[in-house]
Amino acid sequence: MITCDLLVIGGGPAGISAAVAAGKAGLKVLLLEERERLGGQLTKQTHRFFGSVAERAGTRGIAIIKDLETVVAQLENVEVSLSTTALGIYEDGVSTALKSGKMIKIKPKAIVVATGAFEKFLPFENNDLPGVYGAGAVQTLMNIYGVLPARRILMIGSGNIGLIVSYQLVQAGAEVVGVIEASPKIGGYLVHASKIRRLGIPIYPSCTIKKAFGQDRVAGAELVRLDEKWKEIPGSQFTVDCDAICLAVGLNPLIDLLGQSGCQFKYIPELGGQVPIRDESMRTNVPHLYIAGDLSSIEEATAALLEGELAGLSAAKQIRPGQSLEARIEEVKTHLRALRSGPVGEKIRSGLSKLTGEALPTPSPRTNAIDELSRTGIASPANLAGVLPDEKRKKSRAYAVIECYQQIPCDPCVHNCPFGAIKPFSDINDLPIVDFDLCTGCGQCIGRCPGLAIFTVDETRDGDRAKITLPYEFLPKPVREEMVDLLDRSGKCVGQGVVKSVLNTPKQDKTTIVTVEIHRNLVQDVRQIRVVQKS
Amino acid sequence: MNDDKTIVCRCEDIDIETIRKLIDQGVTSLEEIKRITRCGMGPCQGKTCGPVIAREIAMKTGQPMEEILSPRSRPPFGGVLFQEVLEGIDDEE
Repeated sequence: MITCDLLVIGGGPAGISAAVAAGKAGLKVLLLEERERLGGQLTKQTHRFFGSVAERAGTRGIAIIKDLETVVAQLENVEVSLSTTALGIYEDGVSTALKSGKMIKIKPKAIVVATGAFEKFLPFENNDLPGVYGAGAVQTLMNIYGVLPARRILMIGSGNIGLIVSYQLVQAGAEVVGVIEASPKIGGYLVHASKIRRLGIPIYPSCTIKKAFGQDRVAGAELVRLDEKWKEIPGSQFTVDCDAICLAVGLNPLIDLLGQSGCQFKYIPELGGQVPIRDESMRTNVPHLYIAGDLSSIEEATAALLEGELAGLSAAKQIRPGQSLEARIEEVKTHLRALRSGPVGEKIRSGLSKLTGEALPTPSPRTNAIDELSRTGIASPANLAGVLPDEKRKKSRAYAVIECYQQIPCDPCVHNCPFGAIKPFSDINDLPIVDFDLCTGCGQCIGRCPGLAIFTVDETRDGDRAKITLPYEFLPKPVREEMVDLLDRSGKCVGQGVVKSVLNTPKQDKTTIVTVEIHRNLVQDVRQIRVVQKS
Repeated sequence: MNDDKTIVCRCEDIDIETIRKLIDQGVTSLEEIKRITRCGMGPCQGKTCGPVIAREIAMKTGQPMEEILSPRSRPPFGGVLFQEVLEGIDDEE
């Protein structure tokens, strides 16, 4: 029998965070991870994370996990057991796990379960054809093993996973034929949607899949439009050619281990389905049993990191009372509340209020109206007009255009302007506002925006030439004086321009900053470049 | 929709037509459907098909999802060989 203070099951962001918090509080911690490496989903997240700079926003998931691994390794009282599958949590407090062909038994004083989530499946005709993938599998193949799962992919679901995986598929050299979404508006962050729209990927809202075609593998799909009551519109079927269908239709908390322990559940669709009942300190109804991360509610990794820390601290406080952990516990709770306080946190807030029975906290300004942007991912002229300086200012100096129109919990831009030209936030969900008196158009912010939503424009020179500077995360990288295609927000080629500078040092961390000389009339249309492949 | 070509349980290859017929016959719990069809008894242990079948039951009977989905998982989570259990016991002598 192995004994320890705290057993943490699951080595993803929530589990690691719990182990680190408890370890720093002096607990003897055993962290179990099923795979051969710590990190969970972080190991395949090649994009920059949203959230607060304090929780590493602006950093890629794959970099965050490297940092976390270092932190864990420095804590002598935190033991990590990789390739270890938890098997059971028994009523007497003993847990079992499978490691190197042995069923080991562990008797901890408390347990944090952070087993994450499981992808939802979708019933449609021929959904067992080879070529029907879960988005997680596609990401694992691409980003961990370097294997391209298909050439032409149809993405089902426009949540952040569907949007991000679509972008990563294009980075890997595949074509995404479209993203379909049953709801009338895009589910994920609109900056992610805009990123794939300007690559030319169509998004079809109010649309679902009827069937897959193909003999031995996927060759195409039949799609159908839905009305406002989510019923199929007769005769609206259309087909697309593709060699894979990628399902990104949501996640269910992975509750199996907790089901064994006497933990109580509640069905709350807003949190991902059947979720464990827990209090604000992440404790379940079973004494000494805590949860964190997607297991407790399906959210972003930032929330998982915070919930993990909260669970670890709460367990430490329970096992070793008398430590001054209270201040940090309250701080973490405050961060979590802030993270969930904006319009995109509304679903989670409503789910949590069902869980705790508490009334909904301060309602945020509602953005329920389905505007053009949330249906298409393409900013309207009205959106744009709100973020541009006046005509006189445009001529006097270069300036930043921050195309961030949706309140999401994210603040790296504010912290990365060397001139303090992006006004400080009072709330992490605030929209960035540029003070054009201070902005020099230097472009330092461009590569720091996780949504790749910042561009700088220089139209100070006379004549018809102007310059746009934009982020670029594809291969091959452009070179100076090269002619590139100019794409608008829908991915349409609107002309050609000459590359004037390419900034690609380790500091840019693979988000290359490219300046292109273009026609003055195009500065508010061009938002992407395409390197013309020489045959 | 061609119901017999729409798979609900990938592990045991069960289509949605089979499930719908059972529900129509009055078999309206996950447990009963599992025992008749083997749905949920494959490697993923019902994580894929469980929510899909529960929704079918909810749509046809009006029963709330919460009641349909009451989890009845028992240890161990996943398959374990007797040898692996015995190896663990040796460690404690």
